[in-house]
Amino acid sequence: MAQAQRIRDQATVQTWFRGLREQWGEDPADWDDRLEALARFCAFVSKDPDAVIEECVRESDSGKRISVKGRRFYNDKIAEWQASLAGDRAAQVREGNAVRSFLIHNGIFLQSGLQA
Amino acid sequence: MEFKQVVGRRRSIRFFEPDKQVEREKIQTILEAARLASCAVNAQWLRAIVVERDKLPEEKLNQLKTPVAALTLDLAPLHIYFFCDLGVVNRIKGERLRELVDVGALAPTHGWSHKFVDDFVYPQILAPMTQNREGYLAAAMADCGGAAHMALLTAFEEGLGACLNTPNPGLVKRVFNVPDDWVPLWVLLVGYPAESWEAGGQRPRPPFEELYFEGEYGTPFKRDPGVVEKLTQAGMIQAPAPLPDRQEEIRKLAERFGLPL
Repeated sequence: MAQAQRIRDQATVQTWFRGLREQWGEDPADWDDRLEALARFCAFVSKDPDAVIEECVRESDSGKRISVKGRRFYNDKIAEWQASLAGDRAAQVREGNAVRSFLIHNGIFLQSGLQA
Repeated sequence: MEFKQVVGRRRSIRFFEPDKQVEREKIQTILEAARLASCAVNAQWLRAIVVERDKLPEEKLNQLKTPVAALTLDLAPLHIYFFCDLGVVNRIKGERLRELVDVGALAPTHGWSHKFVDDFVYPQILAPMTQNREGYLAAAMADCGGAAHMALLTAFEEGLGACLNTPNPGLVKRVFNVPDDWVPLWVLLVGYPAESWEAGGQRPRPPFEELYFEGEYGTPFKRDPGVVEKLTQAGMIQAPAPLPDRQEEIRKLAERFGLPL
């Protein structure tokens, strides 16, 4: 819980929150669970949320671009972390998808593939 | 008419009843179908100018005639000129793609978000794409082709005949005074057929297995005769040209319209 509180005000976390609200037309009911999942993932990779997004983006002459290398790294890390979690498959997928949602709503286009 | 029958019935009609006008409702229906076509990033490149032949000054009509389409332009009472509006992407700047996110057509399940569209898609993908005219034109025109074919099929579904022709692009731009970034594509000539629906039979096509492959190039997609039979029953596959009475039909049409043989 303390970890979640620590990341709550980061700019990328706020962007995620706004993205979810815009997507669904209301505040996300499972926000605290999502935040907890992101906090645990951040501890796993030893990075804070803003740093994760920063590594998925690169500056080019024409402006901001998605870093293919950064995205692949975090896509793999999410899968690795998800597989390491306790609980059944559905619970693991839910946690992993919370982190994927964080990336997606920060503009990092990502497709995880079918996990059901 | 069932969809398969529409597909089967479509063939380029080149003899039209010159004085039988196409109802306005049918014209709108044709255009509505084009508007609903699949379109990358929902850009909607297709534009159309609808011309009733008899309302076009003779001088302009004559200007638009190409050696291949002069007669059909005279015969068809309705001409729909299709254009590709290349300026649209830089005008809307991804706004219509954003709408697709808004309405749930593009969702986070597939990686989409407003932020991705706003921060990356237009500035990093769409805007640079428009700088590479050759590639951009190919992509935009492929989409316009799909939309024009929706219009074409709808004309047949409405009981009309139609034929796509390639106009002279420079002349078309001048005659219709279109914006610089509109690229002329085709003219869809529409009217009630003066020839039979069969119009000589379904046109010859290369063998199925020569065109389509399975899994990899070189392995033909095997054509199942049972499916061919079903499609024949449904009217999608029809009697192939030439039909036995076609020459006689052409002779009569030539006589009626005073055309050479």
